[in-house]
Amino acid sequence: MNTFEWTNPTSVAEAVKLLRVEQEGAAARDQDGVPQPLGGGQDILTTMKERITRPARLVNLKGIRGLDKIEGNARRGLRIGALVTLTQLEEHSEIRRGFPGLAEAAQSIATPQIRNLGTVGGNLCQRPRCWYFRLEQVVCLKKGGTECYAAVGENKYNAILGGGPSYIVHPSDLAPMLIALGASVVVEGPSGKRTIALDKFFTLPKEGNVRRENVLNNDDIITEIQVPASAMAARSTYLKFKERSSLDFALSSVAAAVEMDAGGTVRQARIVLGGVAPVPWRAPDAEKSLVGKRLDAGTLAEAARLALQGAVPLEKNAYKVPLTQTLVRRALAKVGGATTA
Amino acid sequence: MGTSNNGHGNGGTNGKELKVVGKPFRKVDARAKCAGQTKFADDIVLPRMLFAKLLRSHEPHAIIKSIDTSKARALPGVLAVITGKDLPIPYGILPVSQDEHTLCLDRVRFIGDPVAAVAAVDEDTAFDAMNLIEVEYEKLNTITSIEEAVMIDEPRIHEYGDGGNVHKKVHLEFGDLDKGFAEADLIREDVFFYEGNTHLPMEQHAAVAHYDPDNKLTLWSSTQTPHYVHRALAKVLEMRPAHIRVIATPNGGGFGGKSDPFNHEVAVCKLAMLTGRPVKITLTREEVFYCHRGRHPVLMKSRIGVKKDGAITALDFQSLLDGGAYGSYGVASTFYTGALQTVTYDVPRYRFRGLRAFTNKPPCGPKRGHGTPQPRFALEIQLDKIADQLNLDPAEMRLKHLVPPNSLTANYLRVGSMGLGKCIEKIVEGSDWKQKYRKLPFGKGVGIACSSYICGAGLPIYWNNMPHSGVQLGLDRQGGVRVQCGSIDIGQGSDSVLAYVVAEVLGIDPFDIRVVTADTDLTPVDLGSYSSRVTLMTGNAALQAAERARELLSIAVAEKLKAPIENLSFADRRVFDVENPEMGVTFAEAVVLAETKFGTIGTVGSYTPPASPGKFKGAGVGPSPAYSYSAAIAEADVDPETGIVTVERIWIGHDIGQSINPMLVMGQVEGGVYMGLGEALMEEMIYRANRNVVHKFPSLLEYKSPTTMEMCDVKTYLIEDADPNGPFGAKEVGQGPLLPVMPAIANAVYDAVGVRVDEVPITPEKVLMALRDKAKGKEGRFGPKDVPAVEWPTPMKVQTPAEGGDGREMPRVAIHS
Amino acid sequence: MNQITKQKAHIVFTLNGEPVEVAFAPHKTLLEVLREDMGLMGTKHGCELGECGTCAVLVDGRSILSCLMLGLDAEDRAVETIEGMATADGPHPLQETFADTGAAQCGYCTPGFLLVAKELLAHNANPSRDEIREALSGNLCRCTGYIKIYEAVELAAAKMRGEEMTLPKESVYGYK
Repeated sequence: MNTFEWTNPTSVAEAVKLLRVEQEGAAARDQDGVPQPLGGGQDILTTMKERITRPARLVNLKGIRGLDKIEGNARRGLRIGALVTLTQLEEHSEIRRGFPGLAEAAQSIATPQIRNLGTVGGNLCQRPRCWYFRLEQVVCLKKGGTECYAAVGENKYNAILGGGPSYIVHPSDLAPMLIALGASVVVEGPSGKRTIALDKFFTLPKEGNVRRENVLNNDDIITEIQVPASAMAARSTYLKFKERSSLDFALSSVAAAVEMDAGGTVRQARIVLGGVAPVPWRAPDAEKSLVGKRLDAGTLAEAARLALQGAVPLEKNAYKVPLTQTLVRRALAKVGGATTA
Repeated sequence: MGTSNNGHGNGGTNGKELKVVGKPFRKVDARAKCAGQTKFADDIVLPRMLFAKLLRSHEPHAIIKSIDTSKARALPGVLAVITGKDLPIPYGILPVSQDEHTLCLDRVRFIGDPVAAVAAVDEDTAFDAMNLIEVEYEKLNTITSIEEAVMIDEPRIHEYGDGGNVHKKVHLEFGDLDKGFAEADLIREDVFFYEGNTHLPMEQHAAVAHYDPDNKLTLWSSTQTPHYVHRALAKVLEMRPAHIRVIATPNGGGFGGKSDPFNHEVAVCKLAMLTGRPVKITLTREEVFYCHRGRHPVLMKSRIGVKKDGAITALDFQSLLDGGAYGSYGVASTFYTGALQTVTYDVPRYRFRGLRAFTNKPPCGPKRGHGTPQPRFALEIQLDKIADQLNLDPAEMRLKHLVPPNSLTANYLRVGSMGLGKCIEKIVEGSDWKQKYRKLPFGKGVGIACSSYICGAGLPIYWNNMPHSGVQLGLDRQGGVRVQCGSIDIGQGSDSVLAYVVAEVLGIDPFDIRVVTADTDLTPVDLGSYSSRVTLMTGNAALQAAERARELLSIAVAEKLKAPIENLSFADRRVFDVENPEMGVTFAEAVVLAETKFGTIGTVGSYTPPASPGKFKGAGVGPSPAYSYSAAIAEADVDPETGIVTVERIWIGHDIGQSINPMLVMGQVEGGVYMGLGEALMEEMIYRANRNVVHKFPSLLEYKSPTTMEMCDVKTYLIEDADPNGPFGAKEVGQGPLLPVMPAIANAVYDAVGVRVDEVPITPEKVLMALRDKAKGKEGRFGPKDVPAVEWPTPMKVQTPAEGGDGREMPRVAIHS
Repeated sequence: MNQITKQKAHIVFTLNGEPVEVAFAPHKTLLEVLREDMGLMGTKHGCELGECGTCAVLVDGRSILSCLMLGLDAEDRAVETIEGMATADGPHPLQETFADTGAAQCGYCTPGFLLVAKELLAHNANPSRDEIREALSGNLCRCTGYIKIYEAVELAAAKMRGEEMTLPKESVYGYK
C-alpha cells in the first residue's frame, strides 16, 4: 500500500477543499493519485492494497460532526447521514418496522465486522468487484485501458443488462433498495449543496465516464441520504442470491416495494435489480404490469419476465436470468404476503 | 527396534481401567491458543531481522531470457537479491520427482512460479525491490488441461515422465477381469469429474531463517514435514544436515498444504546465509494459492460388473489427474486414486489405470484424503445408480458386500479391524433412512455413501528401513516427564496425543508432561503430519517409550516396596501395590528410586509399520497398519427453481478403533464434514483461459469456503472396535470422515430432484442444467461425457489372493501363454 | 544509507484498557500497528483484504477487521485484542470454554472468534444457536466445522449468566 497524506477536516467545506484536484480536466481527475474521501475506508483500503488506486491524500470524514445520525420515521421519511454505519441501519427499530427492505438490504451485506465499520455513503460509492478490475496486472477499461476483459473472459459475475463497453455490475446492496424507496442523496461540492435522485446518481458505462460508476466529481461528498415517506415502504423487501449466505456479493438481487389497497390490488410498485447491471437496474415495465392487479402466480411470472426483458447474457452468466426471475417472483410474493395469503 | 513392536499397539493397559485415554481432556496447548499466545511462524521476531519477498512469474509458461536485478540491488534498504542460478540444485518431496528449483533456473511453468527473491530491511522495501527486477520472457504455448496434456507433446513442461506432458502412467490388473464381467448380471460404465480445490489453511505459510556465527542454520517454518524440509535444505544448500536445524512452528491449519518443501523456505535460508541476518517471509494469501499442492482435478471412468444383489464381480477403474506444473506428491496421488477402491466392499477382480498430466497451473498434491476422495466420489455414486437400477436399498446393498475383517483384498491390502457395517447400521437408524429414502417430497432427499482411509502410509517417502516415528522420554527426579517427538501439531492435537498416551501408561496427569515436538535438533524423527499417520505411529512409539520407562520405575519401586513387579500399578501420580493400594510411592519418588538405581532415566520408543503383503511394483501405495471406516447420510434440500442445494444435516458413523480423546475425535469428524461440504457444493480452483492467460483469482472472497451459515448440522456416531495395530486400538480420524460427504450429498440431490450431478462442486447452475436436461426428456445428468483416449502401458498382472496369488507380479511369459 | 526523515504518524489510544502512544508509518493498518509496533502477536491475519475475519478486534466494543482499518483511525478510541481478554482473575469464560471443548483446533482463527463472541455476549446474554451463527458468520474456520465453537459460546454464555451447564454427552462421545 502506498503512503499518503492524512487529513482530518472538521467541516464538509474543508473536506471538499482537501479533495480538490489541482490539475484541470477530466483525465487529471481519473488519475490514481487523486485524493479520496474516507468514511469506513474499507473499500478504499482494499483497492489501495491491491494497488489499483494510490491516493496521495486521504480525507477522513469522520471528524465532521453530524453525519452519523438517522433522523425521522415512517411518517416523515428518513434522513440518513452518510457516515451512518450499516449496522446502525440494520439495527434501527424504526427502519426495521417502517422500511423493512432497507434493514434487510443492510443486513445482507458482507459480514458483521464489515457492517460495523462500513458506512451508507461508502456502500453507495464502492468500486466494482469485477475480477479483472481488482487485479493489479490487468489494465482494463475501468482503469484507463482499452478493453473489458470480462466481455469475453471469466464473466460469471458480470452484467446481463445495460453492459458495454464495460460489463461490471454495481456491487451496492443498499442502492437498489434505496432506489425502490425513491431515495435521494444530498451531495456537497465546491459550488454548494445539491440533491440528486438516487436513480439518476449511477451512470452506465456507455453514458458517462467509463472509469466511474456515478455522477460525483472528485471533490463531491455525499452527506446525506433522504428516504421519503411512502405508502410502499412498509411493503418493501430485499432478496439476494449469493454463493454463500455471508461474506459474499450478490449473484443477483431484487429490491421490491408495493402499495396495495385493502382488497389486495396493487396501486404502485417498484422493482430494482442488483448484481445484474453496471447500475442498479430499475424494471419499469414490470412495475407497470403489476398496477391494478392482485399478486397471483400469473402476475408474478409476467412481472418476472418483464423485469429481465432485454437481458443479454455473456458466455458464463446466463444462469442469472432465471435466477433473477425467481427472485422477482419471490420478492413480490413476499411483499404481497399478508393479503394474498 | 525394527519391527519388534509390530502389533503391540493394543497393549499398555494390562486390562486396567483407562484414566486418560478415551477421556475428553483439554488439549495441552489449548489455553495458549485461546490466549493468542501460541507462536506461529509469522509471530517470530528476531533482532535485525530482514523481510523477504519472492518475485513470481506472471507468465504461465515461458523461457527466462534474462533477469536484471541491478535496480533492485541499488534500492536503499535492499541487502540481497538472488535468482535461480544461486541455488541450482533441484529438490522435490518424492525422490522420483526432484523437479523443483527454489527459483526458476531457465523456465517458468505456472503463474506464481518464483524467479527471484529479495531481502530488505522491511516488507515495503522488499516489495518495491521486487518490482524493480526486470525479467525478459519468451512465451511458450501452455498446456491447460488433462485433455491437452494427453494430446499435445510439445512444448514439454518437464523433460522427464512417461512421454510428452504425461508425468506418470500406471496400469495394474488384479485377477481375471473378463471372467468377472462375464459373471455380472449388470455392467455399468460411468464417467465422473472431480474439480480441484485447495486446503486454504487460515494461516498463510511463513518462515524465518537464522544463520549464526558458528555457521549453523535454523529455520522456523509452518510445515507439516520438518524432516523432509531438513533433507531438502541439506541437499539444495549443500550443507551437512547436522548444521541445519528445522523447527516446525504450530501450523495454523495444514490439511496437506504444508507437506512439501517450499521455495520460500529454501530462499530465506539462502538469504540469511548471504546477509548474516535473520530473514522472515510471510506469504500473502494470493501466494498461498500459488503454493497450492491441493486436490487434483480428476477425470474418471468406472466400469463395474455386479450380480443382482449388488455383489461386485469386477471393477475396472481409470483416473486421469491434472497435476499442475510440478511432481510434488503426484506419483503417490496417482496410485492413491486407485488403491483404496477395494477396502470397503468386496472387489474380487480389479483393474486400475491412472495417468497424471503436467499442466501450466500451480502444482497439485496431497489434500485431506490424498487422491482418494475423487475415486470414492465416483464409486459411491455409481453404487447408488446400481442400487436404483436393481431396485435395492443402497444402504442394505452396501452392508451385504462388505470386506470382512482380517482379510486381504484383491490388490493385497491387509484389512484388520473393519467397523463399516456398524457405521452404516448406526446412521441408517439415526437418520430414519428407511422412512426417508425415496419417500421425501420433491425437493428433499437423502443419500448415503461410505469410505475408508489409511492410518499412516505403510512406506516412507524415501526408501529406508528405519522407524517412521521415534519418541524420547526424559523423566525428571521431581516428577516431570518430557516427551520428545518429531511430530508436528497442525491443530489436530498430536502434541496432546503424546501427552495422553504417556500419562496413561505412567499414571500421571497429562498436564504434568512437557511436550517437545518438531525440532530436528531436539526430537527424534517422525515423518510428519500427513497420511493420517500421527496418532497410530507416534502413539505406538510413545507407548513403547512409556512402557520402557514404567518398567525401569517398576523395578526400582518393587525393590523398595518389596512387592512383586506385576502387582504395581501407576495411577493418580502414584506407583502402588494393587493388592495393598496404601503401599506405594509418589510418581516423583518412583523416579528418584529409579534414577538412584539406574542413573538418569530416559527411554526411547519407535514405530515401524508391518511389511506390506503386496510385492509387485506399485504395491508401496495403499498399505497401512490399519484402515478407518466412515459412512455418511446427507439430507439435502434442493430448490428446483434456482438449483441451490442446502444440506440440512449429515449423520456420520466413523470407525475410530478407540478414541484417544473422544472430544478431539468429534472435532475432527465435524471438521472433515465441513471440508467435505465445501468440496461438494462450492470450493474449486478456477483458472482463466481468456487470451491464453492461465490465471485464477486467488482470494478468500472468490474461493468459497463455507461460513457458519452454510455449515450443516452433524450427528456423529463413533464406532469403537479396537484395532490390534493401533495404540490402545486407535485408528485415524483426521482425513477419513471427509470422504463420504461429497458422494452422499450427490446421492441426496438425486433422491431430492431426480437428477445426477456427476461432478463437484455441485453448483446451482449444474443442478439447473441437469433439471433442464431432464425436462427435455433426457437423462437428467450433468457431468463429463467421456475420458480422452490414452495409450496405456502393458498391465502389470497380479493374481489375487483368491486365485492363489502370492502378491508378486505374474511373469510376463505367463501372460502371453 | 539514505537519509531518514520523520515520516511517522503518532497517535494515542486505549489498548486493552491502558492508554498507549505509538508512532508508525501512516499507511499501516491497525493490524500491522498492533503486531509490528505494539508487539501484540495475538491478532492474526488470514487475507488482509477483509475476507476471512481472522484479524477481528474490538474498537469501542464493536468488532471490526483490523486489516481494513488504518492505524490512524484508532486515534482516541478503545481497542481490545485477544491479549486483553483475560483479567487478573483468570481467563475470560469464553477462553475457558473454547479451550475445554476443543473449539480451538489449530487456534489461528481463534482470537478473532473469541472477540466477536465476546461482542455478541455483551449484547445478548442468552443467544440462540441461530443468533450465534449469524454473529460469527464473518469468521472463517477451516478446522472445526464451527460446531464446537457454537457449543463453547453457549457454555460461556451460561457460565456468565451464572448457570450450570455442561456439554451434552453426544457432543463429546457422539450418539450411541
